[in-house]
Amino acid sequence: MTETNKQVPVTVLTGFLGAGKTTLLNRILTEQHGQKYAVIVNEFGEQGIDNDLVVDADEEVFEMNNGCICCTVRGDLIRILSGLMKRADKLDAIIVETTGLADPAPVAQTFFVDQDVANKTKLDAIVTVADAVHLSSQIEDHHEAEEQIAFGDVILLNKIDLVKDENIDVVTKRIRKINPFAKIIKTTKCGAPLKEILNLDAFSLKRILEVEPDFLESDHDHEHDDDVTSLSFVSDTPLDMEKFQNWFGKLLQTKGQDIMRTKGILDFKGENDRYVFQGVHMLMDASPMGKWPENKERSSRLVFIGRNLDTMNLKEGFEACKSE
Amino acid sequence: MTTDLNQFPQLDKTKFEQRGIQLEIGVPVTCAVSIGNNIAAGFGDGTIRIFSSGEKHKTLKVHKGVILCMAKDGDNILTGGDDGYFLKISLNGEINEITNFGSRWVDHVAAHNGNLVCSSGKVVYYWDKNKKEPKSLNHDSTIGGLVFDAKGRRLAVSRYGGVTIWKKDYSNKWKSTKLDWKGSHNKVSFSPDGKYLVTSMQENVLRCWRLKDKLDFAMSGYGSKVKSFAFIGDTSYLATSGSTDAICWPFDGEGPMGRKPICLPYIGNKQVTFIEPFPDEKAIFAGLSDGSVFLSQIENENNTIIIRSFTGSEVSAIAMTDDKSSIFIGDMNGNTLWTSIWDQ
Repeated sequence: MTETNKQVPVTVLTGFLGAGKTTLLNRILTEQHGQKYAVIVNEFGEQGIDNDLVVDADEEVFEMNNGCICCTVRGDLIRILSGLMKRADKLDAIIVETTGLADPAPVAQTFFVDQDVANKTKLDAIVTVADAVHLSSQIEDHHEAEEQIAFGDVILLNKIDLVKDENIDVVTKRIRKINPFAKIIKTTKCGAPLKEILNLDAFSLKRILEVEPDFLESDHDHEHDDDVTSLSFVSDTPLDMEKFQNWFGKLLQTKGQDIMRTKGILDFKGENDRYVFQGVHMLMDASPMGKWPENKERSSRLVFIGRNLDTMNLKEGFEACKSE
Repeated sequence: MTTDLNQFPQLDKTKFEQRGIQLEIGVPVTCAVSIGNNIAAGFGDGTIRIFSSGEKHKTLKVHKGVILCMAKDGDNILTGGDDGYFLKISLNGEINEITNFGSRWVDHVAAHNGNLVCSSGKVVYYWDKNKKEPKSLNHDSTIGGLVFDAKGRRLAVSRYGGVTIWKKDYSNKWKSTKLDWKGSHNKVSFSPDGKYLVTSMQENVLRCWRLKDKLDFAMSGYGSKVKSFAFIGDTSYLATSGSTDAICWPFDGEGPMGRKPICLPYIGNKQVTFIEPFPDEKAIFAGLSDGSVFLSQIENENNTIIIRSFTGSEVSAIAMTDDKSSIFIGDMNGNTLWTSIWDQ
């Protein structure tokens, strides 16, 4: 493509009904920030927001005929984003609100799958607004609440003014168990600076190198089997690239529906470069990202977030990729 | 470093650029239609520009936001915008509001013999020329495209999962039939003889139905989404974008099944993004992702001439006047060319 125009960053805003998404959207639309933001909302959203830059959408998810069974995308988003790209005034960012119950994965997948969308816009981050008062019970009762936490790059733990300190710790731990790498921001009335929410570039492979997830904090015990959890692996022994590709490719192909997000930095035997990858379900973005820093030990690190991870023999699979 | 001569823009102007009028409007050109010997072009800032030979073009501000779609209705222009308005505009610049959907976009418009349609979301609105209030035709999902057949008897509406064909029965009631194929269907078109219906899909493929027996088949092999296609002549070819060549499928005889398309290659290995037929000739204008536009004869791939050279921005509209004397070309950066086709 000769097109050198900057890609417009798109933030996916998710969270349960009543968590504070509309409060955040109103801030984004009304605060004096000198930026032009368009907001795509669902007609069944919490309340109407009246602004020229608000677009109504029906969340329409459909399956791609590309042989990938779990590859669902948001058709309405493809249409609206391509319409927004024809505007005379260039947008600084676009925010897509998903309804409280919607799974954010099809939105994220839209940016991997549609060529026009990928050329002109880029997925910036998934921001999840969570209600500190109700999150624990919502996670128990609704798998969507758990999934929204699992997918988030940033989690706004909102309404902390209504919760005792020790309960905030409990909720934070619960979030960490599901998602070890999200950035948690504690807020009242979603009062975080917008620069911590928008334009984060969380999906760029470069960013993965900068964010150190809490690899060791994620323990693996859980109450019932369909819980969303995370598992992480570290190896100081270099991996065999072919073995890894075979194992990981097959894993995503067969278990991609249960594996929600993956991120990793890999050290392959005989390669000078660090390999970085990240994925949403079975779609993956991977690339060598330059040489290992000289003052740092080489090691491979891998994080999975998803359901039924304990049935996938991940540890054994990963161990078998070691080059010795 | 590699030396790729195609990286360098062609600096020489074509003869069409030399004798035509070139503008740098700086706003995406979203659509263009011919109204007699005039061309109306729609832009991303809600303006339309009307080009007529021998006169300076007229600029009219008609929508608040992007003009998403355009059609001709006799001597008038129909437009739909992301401001929710469906408008009828005369060549003199008189603007009539047909309706207004607020924050909902008007995605598609069409007209036949004074009857008007537009779609907004999942609903198609049909205005009979004798009636004030529209009839709503409902669908289960958002509409990707709509088109009348040549006689205006059938209205095809593409959507997720296939196409709905609407027709009025003898008692003047709307009846629909469905053509199903999984996935998202966008632009839709009848063949000029009414025997086939074609849609372009979200995947890089076209779906086609032979209407007499609903036999359906795919036309595939594209490197990108097929955003533009057009039937040429009396259903002899379907010319399509979506590849580095203009791909022309034969629709004469028993149709394209089991037959190879004609592929018209262009220099520079750029994607074809827009196709406009040359009326009554087996020839097409092909617009490319780098802004260049070529006129090609389908059955003679050596007979290709360059109309417009490189601009660096994807061609998003081409329209020819009804008398076939002049053409308009526009791209996503707002570079336009309005020129006569024939040497004086």
